[in-house]
Amino acid sequence: MFIVIFILIIPLFSFVINALLSSGKATFGSYCSVALLLLSTLGAIHVLFFIETKVLTSQVDWFSVGDQSFKVGLLVDFQGAVMLAVVSLISLLVHLYSIVYMAQDSGYGRYFATLSLFTFAMNGIVLSNNLLMIFLFWELVGLSSYLLIGHWYTKTSASEAAKKAFIVNRIGDAGFIVALCIVWCQFGSFNLIDIQSQMEASQIQNGYWSSELNALPKVWLSILGIGFFLAAVGKSAQFPLQVWLPDAMEGPTPVSALIHAATMVAAGVFLMSRVFVLLDGLTLSIIAFIGALTAFMGGVAALAQFDIKKVLAYSTISQLGYMLMGIGVGAYEAALFHLFTHAFFKAALFLAAGSVIHSMHEIAHKNHLELDAQDMRLMGGLKSKLPVTFYAYLVGSFALMGLPLFSGFLSKDALLIASVNWSYQIGNVAYLIPSLAFVTVLLTSFYMVRQLLLVFFGRPRIEISDLREFGWHFKLPLIVLSVFSLGLIWSLNPFDYSHSWFLAALPGKLNVTPEFDVVIPDLTNHALVGVISVILVALGTGLAWLKFRPGRELMLSKTGQFTLLENLSLNNWYLDVIYEKTVLRIVRVSTSALAVLETRVIDRAVNLLGWVGVVFSFLLRWFDQTIVDGLIKFSAFFSSQVGGMTKSFQYGKVQSFIIFALVSLLLLIFLIL
Amino acid sequence: MIPVEHFYYISAVLFSVGLAVVLTRKNAIMVLIGIELMLNASNLNFLASNTSEDPEGQFFALFVIVVAAAEAAVGLAIILKVYKYFKTIDLDKIAEIKD
Repeated sequence: MFIVIFILIIPLFSFVINALLSSGKATFGSYCSVALLLLSTLGAIHVLFFIETKVLTSQVDWFSVGDQSFKVGLLVDFQGAVMLAVVSLISLLVHLYSIVYMAQDSGYGRYFATLSLFTFAMNGIVLSNNLLMIFLFWELVGLSSYLLIGHWYTKTSASEAAKKAFIVNRIGDAGFIVALCIVWCQFGSFNLIDIQSQMEASQIQNGYWSSELNALPKVWLSILGIGFFLAAVGKSAQFPLQVWLPDAMEGPTPVSALIHAATMVAAGVFLMSRVFVLLDGLTLSIIAFIGALTAFMGGVAALAQFDIKKVLAYSTISQLGYMLMGIGVGAYEAALFHLFTHAFFKAALFLAAGSVIHSMHEIAHKNHLELDAQDMRLMGGLKSKLPVTFYAYLVGSFALMGLPLFSGFLSKDALLIASVNWSYQIGNVAYLIPSLAFVTVLLTSFYMVRQLLLVFFGRPRIEISDLREFGWHFKLPLIVLSVFSLGLIWSLNPFDYSHSWFLAALPGKLNVTPEFDVVIPDLTNHALVGVISVILVALGTGLAWLKFRPGRELMLSKTGQFTLLENLSLNNWYLDVIYEKTVLRIVRVSTSALAVLETRVIDRAVNLLGWVGVVFSFLLRWFDQTIVDGLIKFSAFFSSQVGGMTKSFQYGKVQSFIIFALVSLLLLIFLIL
Repeated sequence: MIPVEHFYYISAVLFSVGLAVVLTRKNAIMVLIGIELMLNASNLNFLASNTSEDPEGQFFALFVIVVAAAEAAVGLAIILKVYKYFKTIDLDKIAEIKD
């Protein structure tokens, strides 16, 4: 357990170092981070090797409210250990890569501090043993994502994108909070293991869902699941909240690789696997549908993009859709498998894209050109100039497309088979989901081949003769990530995911929701699905080759006319426009109405209240000055008069004393007589 | 034989004169003289009420003369000190308590 706490704390330590160091020592700080993360990665790998099927957990009291005590604790199981290793390793590589990538940046120290903070928060999500802590770390990754997207905050587009990501994620978090409330109400505990055992013990009878503690109408179970799913929709950029992820590409490219491709966006999928026991049939169906739809929409949106990072961003959305579809059809282990393989090949793609962008910047800088370094229409022929980048990109693309021998094939195969078998059992509309998934395979291979052709093949479209690849800081992460994108790493038989060490180690059936049985993906249609997907990949590749083969200069002019489909794709299904026209307009109208209400009614009421207060205080002042002060002044005056009168008795005029004495004596005599 | 009432009248007049002097004069020595007058008025009163069977009046008169002598000595000494301190013996000007 000690080593796990150690792994969790190290990135925080690295954050503190980088945050406290002055900017002059930032380089030293970044190397410190790399060294610390190397330690934590080694620790995570060590944990991964000894964990096997064990579940380690440990908790201590955090605070208590009344007689309810809240705990902080850690939970390490196999999936957590794999996730921990993946996060640590990719974070290490991205830190290393960033040393060169961000070298000329003024916010160098800030960048590394935030990157380490993110790693800490992500480890926190993975290792937390209760939902409340997961929520806290969930918000913390959201914050660090916000900070990193807005790293170049002087750029309007970057700060806008950061705000967009943050606000869109808030919508998802509202769902998370609702789900947390229901969990607490029903189980009185946030502990994941507790929840699982209590869920097993709970029953659904007569439309009521009853646990040991409480009974709620059955619909609350679905609301609970949908709440968690909403959180995942926000974080994992699913339809209809996927609009923030393409904009998040405003951040530095290594950040996109770590946060917006490999780890944070996958946190939604990881969360779904953590709360998988709480998902009922309705919720799972919704998840499957939204996942497949997002996969398809993301695939379409990636088709016609010209920004090298945007293509990858939409492809990330699409792949995340696959993962959630996997959750939805009950194949949570396949979804996690795809999460891990995707993390490596997508990080490889992003870092390779970063290398390309960095080189384009160099060219622009050397030749004093004003150009958009991310525009693929300006690239081309980079294959011979950036060989390591090219091969990393190639391996990453093949894995993403799902070619046999690469990691993506195994995980995508598992997901596709699960969805096919699931739809066989459900029937009817359910066939839509594997269909969308298969179409997405075609789309994926199309846009990836298109991108490869545009960036690396053909004639250079600008002068690149003096271009050189960057040093080992760039090459090492690319090579490591490419190696992890090979199928052999994940399964000894690269054509059959069922031989994978990862799936073998995961516990099989996890679903304990009463009255609902999850479909266990079997190998019934294995060969068929594999063949179909390979044919679709080949088809997509062929189409892309026909359209973008070297020598053809289609669609390369910036002012060119686009077809309807291309426009649809370029604008991401016009989702931003739709939101602008609907949600944002409603918000704007209602806020301006509220503003009117504010100025006309509330402000006036407040002003009136102030005016009444002023008048009242004037009255009070008069009362004070005349009555209260008068009383006091009168008593003072009275006593001074009395004092003045009595003072003469002792004034020192001896003769007047005698007169007083005499008069008093006479009075006394008169009184007595 | 002079009737005894006449002594009382003279005594009363003498006391009143003494009192008037005490009350009206500003000079401390004059006030002291007024006091002497009042003491002598009371002496006259004592003697007038004196009889051969009851000679207490005579004794009191003797006491009063002794006391008056002592009073004059002490009073004049005080006035002397007051004069040295205040450089005046005007009773209105020797007040130490101001307004």
